[in-house]
Amino acid sequence: MCACTCLFSAHSALKSSCRNLDLWTETYGISFYLSYLSRWPDLCCVQEAPNGRMMGYILGKAEGQGNEWHGHVTALTVAPEYRRLSLARKMIDLLEFVSDEMYKGFFVDLYVRCTNNLAIDMYEGMGYSVYRRVREYYGSLGIGKGGRDEEDAFGEFKPRYHPYAHPP
Amino acid sequence: MSAAALERQLRPIYDSLDTGSNKSAIVACNKLLKKHPNNDLLKALKALALVRSQKVEESLVLCDEILAAKPTDDAILTAMMHVLRGLGRQMDMISMFEEAFKQQPGNEDLGAQTFFANVRAGHWKTAQQIATRMHKQFQEDRYLYWSVISAVLQANDPSTPPAMRELLYKLAHRLITSATTPSYTNADRFHLHLSILRHLGLHEEAHKLLDHEAGKSICSTSLACNELRRDIWHADGRWAEEGALAESKIVEKKDRNWLEFLSMLDAVYPPNMADDDAAKTECSARIEHARSVFEAVAEKDGLKDRSGPLALLELERRARKHGCSNDPERLLNLLKSYFDKFGSKACCFEDVKPFIDFDGEVLANWTSYLQSKETSLTSLTGLQQRINIHKLLRYNLTASEINVESEASRATLYAKEYIDALPLGAELPVTELQPADDLAILAGSAYVSLWKISEDVKYLHCAATLLEFALTRSRQCYLIRLMLVRIYRLLGAPSVALEHYRGLNLKQVQHDTLSHILLSRASTFSLASTGDLTFATECLETSQIYVSNSQETADFVVRAFTQEKYSQIPEFIAFEDRLDNSLQRDTIKMEHVRMRFTHEAITSDIIDLELIELKFIFDRNHHDNRDFAIIPNYQPRSQLTFNEQTALFGKTDGLGWLLTFLKLYIRALQQASDLDDVVEEKLLIGDRPKQNLDPDTKLPLHERLRKRQDDQLSELSSDELTLLKYADDLADWLECYHDHIRPHPSVVLAEAAKQTELKTGHPLKGIELALQENGGANGNGHNKKDEEPPAAKEPPEGVVQFFDSIKSRFAAAQNSSPVEALHVATLAQEAFIFLTVETQRFKPASVVKVHKLGPLVQSVKALRANAIAALKEISAALAKQADLEATADKRKDFIDSCSAVMTTEIDHDFVFGVAKRVTDSRKKVLDGVGKGIVRVCSSYL
Ligand SMILES: CC(C)(COP(=O)(O)OP(=O)(O)OC[C@H]1O[C@@H](n2cnc3c(N)ncnc32)[C@H](O)[C@@H]1OP(=O)(O)O)[C@@H](O)C(=O)NCCC(=O)NCCS
Repeated sequence: MCACTCLFSAHSALKSSCRNLDLWTETYGISFYLSYLSRWPDLCCVQEAPNGRMMGYILGKAEGQGNEWHGHVTALTVAPEYRRLSLARKMIDLLEFVSDEMYKGFFVDLYVRCTNNLAIDMYEGMGYSVYRRVREYYGSLGIGKGGRDEEDAFGEFKPRYHPYAHPP
Repeated sequence: MSAAALERQLRPIYDSLDTGSNKSAIVACNKLLKKHPNNDLLKALKALALVRSQKVEESLVLCDEILAAKPTDDAILTAMMHVLRGLGRQMDMISMFEEAFKQQPGNEDLGAQTFFANVRAGHWKTAQQIATRMHKQFQEDRYLYWSVISAVLQANDPSTPPAMRELLYKLAHRLITSATTPSYTNADRFHLHLSILRHLGLHEEAHKLLDHEAGKSICSTSLACNELRRDIWHADGRWAEEGALAESKIVEKKDRNWLEFLSMLDAVYPPNMADDDAAKTECSARIEHARSVFEAVAEKDGLKDRSGPLALLELERRARKHGCSNDPERLLNLLKSYFDKFGSKACCFEDVKPFIDFDGEVLANWTSYLQSKETSLTSLTGLQQRINIHKLLRYNLTASEINVESEASRATLYAKEYIDALPLGAELPVTELQPADDLAILAGSAYVSLWKISEDVKYLHCAATLLEFALTRSRQCYLIRLMLVRIYRLLGAPSVALEHYRGLNLKQVQHDTLSHILLSRASTFSLASTGDLTFATECLETSQIYVSNSQETADFVVRAFTQEKYSQIPEFIAFEDRLDNSLQRDTIKMEHVRMRFTHEAITSDIIDLELIELKFIFDRNHHDNRDFAIIPNYQPRSQLTFNEQTALFGKTDGLGWLLTFLKLYIRALQQASDLDDVVEEKLLIGDRPKQNLDPDTKLPLHERLRKRQDDQLSELSSDELTLLKYADDLADWLECYHDHIRPHPSVVLAEAAKQTELKTGHPLKGIELALQENGGANGNGHNKKDEEPPAAKEPPEGVVQFFDSIKSRFAAAQNSSPVEALHVATLAQEAFIFLTVETQRFKPASVVKVHKLGPLVQSVKALRANAIAALKEISAALAKQADLEATADKRKDFIDSCSAVMTTEIDHDFVFGVAKRVTDSRKKVLDGVGKGIVRVCSSYL
């Protein structure tokens, strides 16, 4: 059915990894999920249908010193059959909101593989922009659309400055 | 030597330990211990290296020495923590830290370590007391909260009696209200506070917190706190207020969280609604209002968000349920308009499924609406609509509409449309899912359903071939792989199933939730008997996840305490429990044991080891984490699901299956073993698992092992039931001989003590005591040998007949399908293994003589000879069947049977490839199982 924006509970880790056998999504180890939940539970959430089907999830964290204190999107994924229904947008919105309001972060940033054109377009559409390219952030993923060059060049996406952000 | 010098010499030892060079760590420790024989840190490091090199007994000796000295030094404590964890001795770890803290009560860090040791062991009561003490002493708020949540966790622990729970919550409440700073300074403290108030029904107090500015602000950012707030409001009957709040979020803030829509819906039909006309009128007014809100949302969001239209559907569904619907056509109309809007989205089918369990005229109306839709396969939206229409129509097919002819024409249609629609995704890289994938999945489903109706294997061939082809176009489509794994198991082609299973590239917890698709009853395909450990290894590798869970999750519970993320702690604990006590974990273990016994010599060591492990498992309170929902199911609701259809032998195994096999094995191993409970208790090194609270587990083991429950037995195939009956008869028959011959516990313990002393040079601790206790309590124990041995009894009919009847059963199974032949053959082999395990004790000539077992041994010999003769026949028949498999004829048959799915794309060469892999795989497994049977027979002669 529709999107319940729920907490990402440890139990979600059991479900999440079943749903998203997806090439673009790293499937993380238990300790990865738990380390996020034991520190930033409010920056992690799932989109769940009332019948329990998990449609997507987002994991984020807060990090940085002084003026660099910000929210970071670590993982975002939506199951193929639930795409293009604004679920990703909702989760990003929520993460930005919590990052601003609860963590008082100055901006939100994230990394995307340069080969993941779809996600790049999406983030750009949401106002994010590239500010630096990073090498070898992800593990190797085979050859990208544009061959070798793109395979190991990765974009780190934007600090989108929030003009209304609170001072530290 | 100076402390600094010693430290310098310790460095390489730490390095060796870090890099896993335990041997060199031991050597280095020994060298330094010569100079510093009383250095406890050296001893602790050596103990650690010993544990890590599996030298448990030697490590234990050192451990006891160090613990006796009551260390307080940080380095020693840390090293010992690892040692004791490695030994599974949490109790010792707790007392070690308690002792240390007692000696240095001002040491805050030791206090925290003691607290954590109790947390790891789930000793909430002690944890709570320690935290309280720490709070008094160190005056830190966090320790107060530690004690609060410890009280809550103790209250929630299943072993806490209900009356006690209330008291504990009251204690938690008293503690939390004594805090100097209010809980709303921190979302997790606030959450803890609210959850206590909710539990105690102290809503007034909760509202005060919630109405406070800080409370409101927390609820606006913290989903967890907001959820609690909603619960409290609901518990208070404030449905209307909650609904109004939700409405303002939806309308003003454009919140599209479905939970808000549910709040509005709940407010329309509050659970406490009266059942009179006035109430109905009011309700109608609320319905109208909600409808106008949802309609406006739907209008505004258009195709961007489906919350509005879905809320309208749910509103109408509930109106009907409450008898408040005033328009019989509305639901159908809403569905139609939903389809008109979202019919081209992939989620459409799952979205509307809960609303369409129609029959009669309404169904006819809905069906004709769907059928009348004009869709074309030339655009992506048309394709997705077509797929949804197929799924929706198929879902409501009635039993009378499903027969070989109609299913065949559906299968052909789906398959044809799949091929026709492929060009739409031609541009996509193979790493992308193809838009037409679902048509292939539908066709595969229809073919499997055809096989189920007709029992004609050709339909499985068609399904496999078509899905294999679809996978070449959409390499990442794991749904297709899941289906293929199941189909190849049915076809008796396990190596191909395994290949696809590996292609899924499961990671982490997926091993727990998904490995069932391959590993359920995998011993049917195991070639461990021939030395090929592929499946056995798969079991072990899959089980890795449980080991890392036990180690890691407790660490994160501790971390959540230090980070004060109290809302997460109960979750983490529940999660650890779910994995620790996972049904799948133990099902894999059971399969592995079944494989292991076909491969390894059955020694008393293995018997004892597996016995203890299986007994632990038997006492667990299992959680079923298996994911079945992920297996695509587009079968009509009047039929079995795809998962049910493709379960081996038509029986999905679950807890009942596991418990039955556990009982079977535990009973046999127990008879064969010298370990009774007294001995086991003394020889056990780690702590016992937590007690299961199920009253059934309180019965004596002897009784539990004999209990047969229909609901459990219903998960067994008829051949498994036959094996069960045989093993029961066998165990009943031989029990009295085992009980008579088994040495007295004191003898077993004395022997164990002797062995340990030989190995380590130290006596086994606690044994002398046990020997005395037993001697005293059971004075005539030693005299058992003087009793007359039980009279020789003829073996029961069920045992004598077993191998003859399984021979004829095998012939029938062989005619039916390769996988059934494998099933019966491996069960026959297992029956022989039971015979071996159960009769090993009677082998030594001295035993036979002392206990006058002559006649018994004669019966066993006859049984064994008969069994071996039967097994050899089965083996020969399997070899013959194997020879027929990988032949040109067989492949040709396969290819011919796939004519329905062959096209210009799926050509002869392609089908040949599939046919070859299936028949090769079958040949290998039939041949291997056959050869393995002979090996098992000869190694246990
Ligand atoms: C990327 C992903 C998270 C998008 O999820 P989603 O729920 O479908 O996205 P939304 O519906 O919220 O889309 C938001 C916007 O992104 C853009 N967008 C998303 N998917 C798009 C697509 N397939 N084509 C074009 N634009 C797209 C659109 O602009 C869209 O807004 P619109 O629908 O109003 O036009 C999802 O495709 C996914 O899980 N992919 C795999 C994992 C991944 O790549 N994660 C990102 C790396 S961190």
